[in-house]
Amino acid sequence: MLSSRTVVAVASSSSFLPLSHPAAASTSASASAAAASYPFLNRRLAFSKCHTSRDHSIIPKPQRSRVMEGFKTRAAAAAPQLEDADALIDSVETFIFDCDGVIWKGDKLIDGVPETLDMLRSRGKRLVFVTNNSTKSRKQYGKKFETLGLNVNEEEIFASSFAAAAYLKSIDFPKDKKVYVIGEEGILKELDIAGIQYLGGPEDGDKKIELKPGYFLEHDKDVGAVVVGFDRYFNYYKVQYGTLCIRENPGCLFIATNRDAVTHLTDAQEWAGGGSMVGAVLGSTKQEPLVVGKPSTFMMDYLAKEFGITKSQICMVGDRLDTDILFGQNGGCKTLLVLSGVTSLSTLQSPTNSIQPDFYTNKLSDFLSLKAAAV
Amino acid sequence: MYLVSWFLQRELHFSPKSVCYKDEGTAPCKRNGGKKNQPTFCGGTRQVKQPPTVKHIPFSNQTALIYFKKKLINILPKSKNGNQPEKDSDAAQSLFVGGKMSAPAATQLLDLHSARALVDSVEAFLFDCDGVIWKGDKLIDGVPETLDLLRSKGKKLVFVTNNSTKSRRQYAAKFHSLGISVSEDEIFSSSFAAAMYLKVKEFPPEKKVYVIGMEGIVKELEQAGFTAIGGPEDAEKRAEWKSNTLFEHDKSVGAVVVGLDPYVNYHKLQYATLCVRENPGCLFIATNQDAVGHMTDLQEWPGAGCMVAALRGSTEREPIVVGKPSTFMMDFLLQKFNISTSKMCMVGDRLDTDILFGQSSGCKTLLVLSGVTTETLLHSPSNQIKPDYYTTQVSDFIGFLGS
Repeated sequence: MLSSRTVVAVASSSSFLPLSHPAAASTSASASAAAASYPFLNRRLAFSKCHTSRDHSIIPKPQRSRVMEGFKTRAAAAAPQLEDADALIDSVETFIFDCDGVIWKGDKLIDGVPETLDMLRSRGKRLVFVTNNSTKSRKQYGKKFETLGLNVNEEEIFASSFAAAAYLKSIDFPKDKKVYVIGEEGILKELDIAGIQYLGGPEDGDKKIELKPGYFLEHDKDVGAVVVGFDRYFNYYKVQYGTLCIRENPGCLFIATNRDAVTHLTDAQEWAGGGSMVGAVLGSTKQEPLVVGKPSTFMMDYLAKEFGITKSQICMVGDRLDTDILFGQNGGCKTLLVLSGVTSLSTLQSPTNSIQPDFYTNKLSDFLSLKAAAV
Repeated sequence: MYLVSWFLQRELHFSPKSVCYKDEGTAPCKRNGGKKNQPTFCGGTRQVKQPPTVKHIPFSNQTALIYFKKKLINILPKSKNGNQPEKDSDAAQSLFVGGKMSAPAATQLLDLHSARALVDSVEAFLFDCDGVIWKGDKLIDGVPETLDLLRSKGKKLVFVTNNSTKSRRQYAAKFHSLGISVSEDEIFSSSFAAAMYLKVKEFPPEKKVYVIGMEGIVKELEQAGFTAIGGPEDAEKRAEWKSNTLFEHDKSVGAVVVGLDPYVNYHKLQYATLCVRENPGCLFIATNQDAVGHMTDLQEWPGAGCMVAALRGSTEREPIVVGKPSTFMMDFLLQKFNISTSKMCMVGDRLDTDILFGQSSGCKTLLVLSGVTTETLLHSPSNQIKPDYYTTQVSDFIGFLGS
């Protein structure tokens, strides 16, 4: 259960910095408290409770909102289905789109998307694409859009890999410090563009360790931040290196691009996401990371400043409640959920779900069909 | 009022820890001449968890109640109609219900007297392994002699470790290779605990268990009659994805057991995630959640807590933890040794697992500073876990117990 946690507070002059949670019991402390409240019972083999035994139902509980202090989720009135697309389109200037599950699924474009985007552009709307996927850089995403036949400018794309680099720039990360990366190429490329030195990345995926007497893993004392994102080449060496940097280098930051539990790398099934890698480093350092991707509003604040837009003039379109919709709500924008991705209608309408977007619809191209119906 | 309390302090040795509860047939409490703030060494059984009946307190009810009332002022809410005598006695009783004393007693540095008293008052010593007996594959100085000394005094020795990389048999072999004679059934590893949990829960043998961990877990599961898949053989597997390929997973997996795994990779995480999320009723079991440990003698390495948290991140579910500080293993320990837990002493190097395990079970606890915990950490204001005693390392017993 993701209850409120401690977030590493970082002194920063930037206004983009997400606020920190009030300090709450860390994982181990809460587990200890639970254990202490189950005093040793009796000698029979009847199993005495293990600590943190929770409800093991197969339906995973939707994540509690990791809302930063000071933000409130909107009252959870049931979200209505989108009927009057025109009204929504006319009420905002900018549309922010999530990518996986809204624009494409894996490498396959979702039907009707190119025409919808063209229509929105023809009505003078600004389009921005914000994705938590840190495996590619903005440039590589630009190429992906191009291959799929979409007319999108690199400047309109904000991946969490870019967010990590932008965050480090915003806090004036010292030039002589390095960043250790547990992640893929996308993060490395963005750090290059931002002029920040880095270590690690995919090449550390082949490094092996041997736990034998006298073996000592050295780490660079100049590492000032560890950035963790989705990493298919994840291994023990990387976790140890990152852990050593965070625990032993004074003031070392622990930055996460995103904490998505699962992600749709292929359209056929879910894959363990960045939340897994971030969880691993969290488990060994017992420190909460600074999250730069959704639902943290860092990217929203950045692009609002970049393009000079008012947040109330933005509509966030996404397929995931606990990242996309929460991101929109935290930022104070309108939110539209599409059911073409990971969230189904039953999940949205389930009594355990507390995140309600302003509207929901089946897929993005409904903008066209609903518009046509209104005519 | 001050004179009364001064008198009471002299009479009662000040700290609640020094109030003793005489069991029938044991020697009377040895007082230390009424010095303030000094511990008394109770020859009787000090029952931390069970509430004493008032009649055993070796002074009048009224004296006790006056004494405890002073302590209660700060703890219990003020009653609306003043303190009635009945309420006072209830309050005094309630001080001990649940076993919590008014404030956590300070931890004591082990010295000659306390070491002897400790050894006299316990019948069994429970040792953690990493950081107490060895560091990685290197034995800590003086350990074999200490264990021999304790055995010669008729104490039972048990080894309770959260390290799931080896099975009990493999641990016995490790002890032998380090020159210490230990039998397999004196060892309780978290790998064994995981297998026993499944047995206790009557896990159907036709279902499989997916393992993120080392041989230890696989061997214990097989010994208990379960089918284990994954483990070390998945270390070299790489996850691939293309548009039309599906990452397959066995639908008959009914439980995922996660422990320390230096060969963890994406394939294992993905496999386990699919099992937990998609197989109905699939259990998520963690051997332990230690953040770091001394896997080698020279530095600390990420522990099972890392792999468990990785899976928690992708499944959004909390695991069932079978290792310390969960008291699950204590059930098995007690089956083997018919001793009261108050006659056991848990010796460990980690506060949030070893010491908490000992305290939750009602044992005495001794922290050694030869592992992950430093004295600074122990005395830090943010630390809430206070062991009964602490000392530098296990071999200190040799000096204390003397010739």
